[in-house]
Amino acid sequence: MSEAVLPMSATPVATSRAPTDWNGEAMRRRIALRYAAERRFRLLGLCAVLISAGFLAFLLISMGANGARGFMSTQIKLPVDFPRSPIMIDPAMLSTNPDQVLANANLPQVIESSAQAAFGKDGDDYISSGAVAALRKAIIADPGILTRKVTITVPASAGIDLAAKSDGSEADEAAVVKLEQARALSTGFNGGFLTSSDGTDPTVVGIWGALKGSLLTMAITLALSFPIGVFAALYLEEYAPRNRWTDIIEVSINNLAAVPSIIFGLLGLAIFLNMMHLPRSAPLVGGMTLALMTMPVIVIAGRNAIKAVPPSIRDAALGIGASPIQVVFHHVLPLALPGILTGTIIGMARALGETAPLLMIGMRAFVASPPGGITDPATVLPVQIFLWSDEVGKGFIEKTSAAIIVLLIFLLTMNSIAIYLRNKFEKKW
Amino acid sequence: MTGMMIVMIIVALALIGWIVARARATRLGIEAGRLATNSRPSQHGWYVALWTALPALAFLAVWANVMPSLVLDSVLTSPAAQSLPADDFSRGAILSEAGAIASGAQTAAFNPQSMSLVEPYRAAYGRYSTIGAVLAAILAFACGAYAFSRVRPSFTARNRVERVVMWTLLLASLIAIITTAGIVASLLFESLRFFSMVNPLDFLLGLKWSPQSAAMGYGNEDAFGAVPLFWGTIFIGAIIAMIVAIPLGLMSAIYLTQYAKPRTRKWMKPMLEVLAGVPTVVYGYFAALTVAPALRNLAAGIGIPGASSESALAAGLVMGVMIIPFVSSMADDSIAAVPQSMRDGSLAMGATTSETIRRVLIPAALPGVVGGVLLAVSRAIGETMIVVMAAGLAANMTLNPFASVTTVTTQMVQLLTGDQEFDSAKTLAAFALGLVLFIVTLLLNIVALRVVKKYREAYE
Repeated sequence: MSEAVLPMSATPVATSRAPTDWNGEAMRRRIALRYAAERRFRLLGLCAVLISAGFLAFLLISMGANGARGFMSTQIKLPVDFPRSPIMIDPAMLSTNPDQVLANANLPQVIESSAQAAFGKDGDDYISSGAVAALRKAIIADPGILTRKVTITVPASAGIDLAAKSDGSEADEAAVVKLEQARALSTGFNGGFLTSSDGTDPTVVGIWGALKGSLLTMAITLALSFPIGVFAALYLEEYAPRNRWTDIIEVSINNLAAVPSIIFGLLGLAIFLNMMHLPRSAPLVGGMTLALMTMPVIVIAGRNAIKAVPPSIRDAALGIGASPIQVVFHHVLPLALPGILTGTIIGMARALGETAPLLMIGMRAFVASPPGGITDPATVLPVQIFLWSDEVGKGFIEKTSAAIIVLLIFLLTMNSIAIYLRNKFEKKW
Repeated sequence: MTGMMIVMIIVALALIGWIVARARATRLGIEAGRLATNSRPSQHGWYVALWTALPALAFLAVWANVMPSLVLDSVLTSPAAQSLPADDFSRGAILSEAGAIASGAQTAAFNPQSMSLVEPYRAAYGRYSTIGAVLAAILAFACGAYAFSRVRPSFTARNRVERVVMWTLLLASLIAIITTAGIVASLLFESLRFFSMVNPLDFLLGLKWSPQSAAMGYGNEDAFGAVPLFWGTIFIGAIIAMIVAIPLGLMSAIYLTQYAKPRTRKWMKPMLEVLAGVPTVVYGYFAALTVAPALRNLAAGIGIPGASSESALAAGLVMGVMIIPFVSSMADDSIAAVPQSMRDGSLAMGATTSETIRRVLIPAALPGVVGGVLLAVSRAIGETMIVVMAAGLAANMTLNPFASVTTVTTQMVQLLTGDQEFDSAKTLAAFALGLVLFIVTLLLNIVALRVVKKYREAYE
């Protein structure tokens, strides 16, 4: 080993430095220190990755644990004695106009008195306001029950629901014990969560309204941003002359991709609502705002995909007499389409999770029925999550997490499709 | 007749034009022989279809804008309108209510007078929309017939159709400019209105932010000092979030590019990217529900005064985690851009991997990393939902991370929800804040991209 440092002696200047003793105590310690530092550094890197991954896992698990309960609901078997209840109904009318008749039939009073009869004077506190709907459904299904005493399964109130599934207030816990002794409690999948809309009672709210709003908004966004994005990408990549205008277009597209999303909300508010007087809270305006936000993403992804198509394809098509338009629409675009679609799906996934610009254009209103069209007031999934997170009722916590799970499932599906497309159609030329 | 139906009719006419013209071009082409034809039959079809649809649709667009005033005129001349009140405001309210009832958007009237106007309204509306539809259909047919008459083998349909396609592509790419101009114009316009009420210097340098008091009529002085907002934004987005994101992001990038086996890397990298794909509202909910209470309990436990359940730290921490993949991928790119020879040289001198990374790779990649961090800061200060849900509304200037601060984006959301009167300084202030945010993020992006570009050139 010591020979390795000998060339020092070849220099004309004599140095007083002794050859390094690589096996000496000091040198060994030094190397050990350096290796220890190396291991520490490596460990630090691993820790950084693990902390990030751990955070993700913690987030998903805590959402999952809370949200899973949101999909379940507690139900109470409520004995209803119709002949003795304060129901005001004419069975003969029931077949002609059931909705009208049942709306005036004093059903809330029926629930209240039945619950008090069955579970004591606090009985009606155990029952959710959604019980009326359950009762109505039961009567429509079998009007015959009006003449006898039946047991109907109705949703439990938010407090009982919480106490039965996790931990509620002391009074509710006691009530749950009492109900369990009466064998009146059961827990089942909350189908209503996927089919109903926003409400004030956490036991009857659902996400269908928000989901439909999201789907309508996304449809508008896709219909606007996809053609515009693809056309702009084609123009910039294939036809645009190199001049100042093209530079301005490129700079503005790159800037738009970096503008904070809330600014797009301000744009939508100032232009679409205040200048063009389009309806507030509507999927139309939300979709247009999000389309402006998604378009730059599609343009940038589209340009990369178009750039990846080799020039030989264009040359060959031009060589056999195709016009520039035919070259692009018959050859370049089909070859670049998988890449463009991947970028589009990623952009759409971003738009689906976006909240801030939609708050600006008023999509935070309380909408209790699913939108019928693109100009009806609507809300979307992320905004619904935001609205529920603001609710004071404790029952809304698990509903919020459940809505987050639904949103994440959608995003995960979209991203998986994007990755699948990329892997399946990716071409190495 | 609804607008949708007339559009469908025009599209159907265009389709018929396409089919007929294509068939005719095919027949004429066969008669004339292949070499004598300029365009393919389907291009003739497109030519006729475009002539059928475009002028008619353009006419409909114009008509939709002109029609309301025509309808209004004819309603005002109707006998029922003679009893309308003279002042513009109540008159306009009655007219718009009658219009809403006539179109079915509203079922009952608040003002009994508007009920009498519904019938004239409906009649005029029906009359003018029928006129519009008939004119559009005639226009579509006439233009289609004109185009059809030009179908002959020597006609240059292809060039004309392609010119339309080219213009469409150009227009699509101009949308980006229009959007940018729209953002700048709307922000500037509303901000100027705001600055005509509030002195810009008071806004940019004032230390007191209380728009509610201004809205309640205490005057605009001293109510719109935005410095506490700027401080809160910087404190959360540029300080706390970056303290989390820079070390974690940088070390993750180093570990994944320099140490991890390819197989681990293949799994780990997408997992980090999932962090960037989680919607911000989910982060915000997580910060508000889980992180913030834990931090408040911690602060109370070790006796820090002023701990709030809406702390800057909770929002900043979670935002930092959101930014990790962003910093990590930027660092990844810039480390990968350092020439392999520099790394090899260092290793050949006997340096360990970590010494190479710390002494050679990071200094060489530093400009790229700095550029990436600037981009990350610009994203963090524009982030809205996390701070809306987890940071507070109190405009404090504090260094205590457990206290509540507010940010520019939080206040924008706060100012623009609730009442929507566009003449009060309170709502217009949101646009002024938006303008500041827009300019700052733009500058950060420009500087960052310039730094990154310069650094890339250094090794090319």
